[in-house]
Amino acid sequence: MTPPGLLGAALLFWGWQTGFLAVGVVMAALVEGRHLVRSRWDLSRTDFNRVSDLSAVLLVLIAIYQFVGTDAARAVLAILEWLPLTVLPLVTCQLYSTAGVVDLSIFFWSLRRRANEHPEEPGWPIDLTYPYVALALLSASAANVRTGAFFAGVVALAGWALWSARPRRYPAAVWIATLAVAVALGWAGHVGIAAAQRAMERVAQSWLLNLIRRDTDPFKSSTALGEIGEVKLSPRILLRVESANGTRPPALLREASYNVYNAPTWYAVDAAFISVSPEADGATWKLGPPVPERGRVTVAAYLRRGKGVLPAPSGARQLDNLLVVELAKNPLGSVRVDEGLGLVRYAAHFGDGTADGPPRTLDLVVPRNEQAAVERAAAQLGLAGKTPEQAVIAVRAWFSSHFRYARFLGARPQGVSPLEDFFFRTRAGHCEYFATGTVLLLRAAGIPARYAIGYAVHEWSPLEGRWVVRANDAHAWTLAWVGGAWREIDTTPGEWISAERETASFWTPLGDLWSWATYLFSRWRWSEREDRLAGSIGWLLVPLIALLAWRLYRRRRVATGAARGAAATAPPPRPGDDSAFYLVERRLAQLAFPRAPGESLVRWLARVESARPPAVTTAALPALLALHYRYRFDPAGLGAAELTELDTGAREWVAAHDMGGPDMAPQAHQARGATPPSDSPGQRS
Amino acid sequence: MWFRRLAYRQFLLASRTQYTLARRLTPAGKLAGAALVGAMIFGPNTRLTVSYQFFTLALAMLAVAALLSVRAPRGLETRRRLPRFGTVGEPLTYHVLVRNPGPEARAGLSLLEDLEDPRPDFATFVSTHEPDEARRNWFDRKVAYHRWAWLIEQNRRLEIAEHAVPTVPSRTTVEVRVTATPRRRGRARFLGVSVARPDPLGLVRALRQHDLPDALVILPKRYPLPPLQLPGTRRYQPGGITLASSVGDSEEFLSLREYRPGDPLKRIHWRSWARAGKPIVREYQDEFFVRHGLVLDTFVPAPTPVFEEAVSVSASFAATVHTQDSLLDLMFVGPEAYVFTAGRGVGHVDRMLEVLAEVRPCPDRDFAALHRLVVERHSLLSGLVCVLVAWDDARRALVGHLRALGVPSLVLVVSEDAGLDAELETAGARRLVPGRIAEGLARL
Repeated sequence: MTPPGLLGAALLFWGWQTGFLAVGVVMAALVEGRHLVRSRWDLSRTDFNRVSDLSAVLLVLIAIYQFVGTDAARAVLAILEWLPLTVLPLVTCQLYSTAGVVDLSIFFWSLRRRANEHPEEPGWPIDLTYPYVALALLSASAANVRTGAFFAGVVALAGWALWSARPRRYPAAVWIATLAVAVALGWAGHVGIAAAQRAMERVAQSWLLNLIRRDTDPFKSSTALGEIGEVKLSPRILLRVESANGTRPPALLREASYNVYNAPTWYAVDAAFISVSPEADGATWKLGPPVPERGRVTVAAYLRRGKGVLPAPSGARQLDNLLVVELAKNPLGSVRVDEGLGLVRYAAHFGDGTADGPPRTLDLVVPRNEQAAVERAAAQLGLAGKTPEQAVIAVRAWFSSHFRYARFLGARPQGVSPLEDFFFRTRAGHCEYFATGTVLLLRAAGIPARYAIGYAVHEWSPLEGRWVVRANDAHAWTLAWVGGAWREIDTTPGEWISAERETASFWTPLGDLWSWATYLFSRWRWSEREDRLAGSIGWLLVPLIALLAWRLYRRRRVATGAARGAAATAPPPRPGDDSAFYLVERRLAQLAFPRAPGESLVRWLARVESARPPAVTTAALPALLALHYRYRFDPAGLGAAELTELDTGAREWVAAHDMGGPDMAPQAHQARGATPPSDSPGQRS
Repeated sequence: MWFRRLAYRQFLLASRTQYTLARRLTPAGKLAGAALVGAMIFGPNTRLTVSYQFFTLALAMLAVAALLSVRAPRGLETRRRLPRFGTVGEPLTYHVLVRNPGPEARAGLSLLEDLEDPRPDFATFVSTHEPDEARRNWFDRKVAYHRWAWLIEQNRRLEIAEHAVPTVPSRTTVEVRVTATPRRRGRARFLGVSVARPDPLGLVRALRQHDLPDALVILPKRYPLPPLQLPGTRRYQPGGITLASSVGDSEEFLSLREYRPGDPLKRIHWRSWARAGKPIVREYQDEFFVRHGLVLDTFVPAPTPVFEEAVSVSASFAATVHTQDSLLDLMFVGPEAYVFTAGRGVGHVDRMLEVLAEVRPCPDRDFAALHRLVVERHSLLSGLVCVLVAWDDARRALVGHLRALGVPSLVLVVSEDAGLDAELETAGARRLVPGRIAEGLARL
């Protein structure tokens, strides 16, 4: 069992580090209250099993809460952070039970079953207190407080724990020196590890991230242009869209636009992100100068690890109710969250045009290897000499009348670029073909144009009562600079929507239902601040915990502790209990001659004498023992002179044998006041 | 087979590591090790948590403690005073004497007993099956970890915790009372005793092993028996008890007679045969004793709990039946058929219990071997106590045969199967339930 205060200190430290100081204080009060409460409860194995089940339920609830709506790495850390709370019921029961330990079987079903089958077998009693201190420290580490306070706290608490259990053979100075060396090594080690990881990350980061990145990259968008076979996307619901007073939301939600094409990838060149500052309420973000508002749409989107690009109508000028910490935008109209929650729900106010930067020369460049095909197509359309408006109409008309939508593409002839093949041979493709073709044709006609990606909003969900956007609604289109503003031009034939719908499987409705449930949970989960956990889930558990606590409380209570305990357990005083001879006994025990249980004083002294230890003189002891026996058992007792003789004799002997060593007696008792062991002359039965 | 070998190697390695860690680390050291592993699991990303700080601190503490524990405590002499017997489940106390011949007192040391390695060899690991192995899932059967753990459990006879040594003054011997808990019957072998010294932080032990080979027989658990009228006790004893030291037929010559089938060959009187032209044997004065048989059924594939209980029941009878004026034959089949006799100065009950302590199951022989053994000797026996571990045709046949021969017998079947009760009732046998044996015996 830990020394008084250590458990409480560990819990306070945990609360301080994780920011749940109030919870930590309550928990610390609960565990340290054992020194004030004199009662202990007689808890059976079944009781402990119940409490263990409660801990498991707590753990599962916290796990569900964390895993739904956030990524696994964060969930694991959050669960770790809350572990001291889940284990608390068990530790409390151990501390307040008469047993004072718990059986290992409460943690394992197999051991529980075995314990039930063979109740006569000895259990595996364990003391949870020291492991609980270690757990509190480990959980505190999940809070990631990087000020050095964590290390200092761990050193202090670990030092406390080790001090209380230190081997007594070493002087305190040796112990302190050893600990100091270990702490210095530990400090150097953790600084070194952190530095090593940073160095390694620098080398590996870009390489790795490029390899695994799947989110929308505002700087680069790889297309499937030229890929053979079917392009397929999942029907998973990604976004939920609500428009003000039931109007239809804008058909396209943009995530990013790009200005440079190098088959098959579009790049955002010269488009650095700049950070956006929120308005005074911390939730309103202005993306550009205000224009007359044309509408408002509310979008709910998931963020992976709290980061991501926000889809919004390309004309969005302001985002409301967006609870994120850091937001940045680039001149091409991408809005990126650098730090936020797992789910964001924001209202986008949009007007005509976009807040994107004005056209630059990059927006007119047709890549060299596509130039021939694009010029040939432009000539076919007679784009030269047309006004921008006319050119746009001509391009639209060409795509809508001569092209069709296709997700499946076969092989193309060698030496022909995907775009050329699309323009002149297949005349079929998916949205990336149409958008890229449109951008390049318009650029050939002298109209600045950009490639935009995002999602098409077209599906009303009667189940949810709002518009939903699926992964296979991902779309690409064109932004063209016409009439002094960026206009959205979508030349993909409208049949793409029905073509994508055909891919829906029969279990899509089930998936939708699950998705909706997840969404509702995530919304509740992310709707407020983090500290709701103790509130909402806590309230659900209150009746359960209360019932269990009540049942445990009703168990047989046993009074312990000094006041009532002493009265209940101490045997009645016996004559001669205060004999000074016990001092001799205690000193001899310290000198490596503890009296064995059941060994009479006479035999014991004989044993000591036969061992002939050089440091001990036994000559005076038989006389003292005789006096002691008379004092203990002679009904007439000792006279005052004899009593003094016993007293001084014993004390002199003890003083002569003062080794000054640590107290090694296993069960040394106090000469006066406490219970001495039996010392009747004969062998005790 | 290669997979078994691989698994066996892994188990050997893992158990060796576990054993070493368990001996070298104090409880505080074990907790530090566990914290180290926990922090290692959560700390690989130093940006995500500060567990790595916890990790490095625990690692540094253990490393410093390990460095300070490289030098083993020297210059102490040890001696062990061991009793001859222990009994399963009954704590056993003995003494280890630690002598310090050096000029300085030694404080804060502890003792760890080095017991025989309980790990099975490869052949045993491959050939022995755990009692309920067939019920395990495919993976468990394939990897056979449970079998490994069970085999180790079978070989682990004693459990001895660390014991603190009081301060040993210079040139003095101190006595350390060691308490051991016998776990299984059989011979417990000690290899030595290790003197341990913790490091200043109290995490790691420095160990010095003293070779101190010794052994102790752990007797089977015994149950109290009610005052028992064993079948056939009150038979007339023409020989009286004066010829106490001899067994069976006394050596007093009576007469010669014709050979009858079954007479021992050593009784043939060759000269009379030559004279008479037909086999003649010497006949001796018959002495009759009360002589009980105790039959132990060992025909189980592995030492199951049922078998252990059967041994315990036999041991209870062996220890309780008064052997001053009667003999007790213990019969069982191991690698061959054994009869061990105790009583009336012939053998001692201690020896019989020692034999029972080392009885092993007999997986490769037929029950008929025991049947033959018992029937061969039935004429010598006043009564029989049969302790069986199952109830099947072979055992039914034995009990039926004994009844037909008119040998009074008490048949006890140790079994979990409550469905047997009705049939056992009609056969005049009793069922004892493992785990509730004492209860069952009290009802006899």
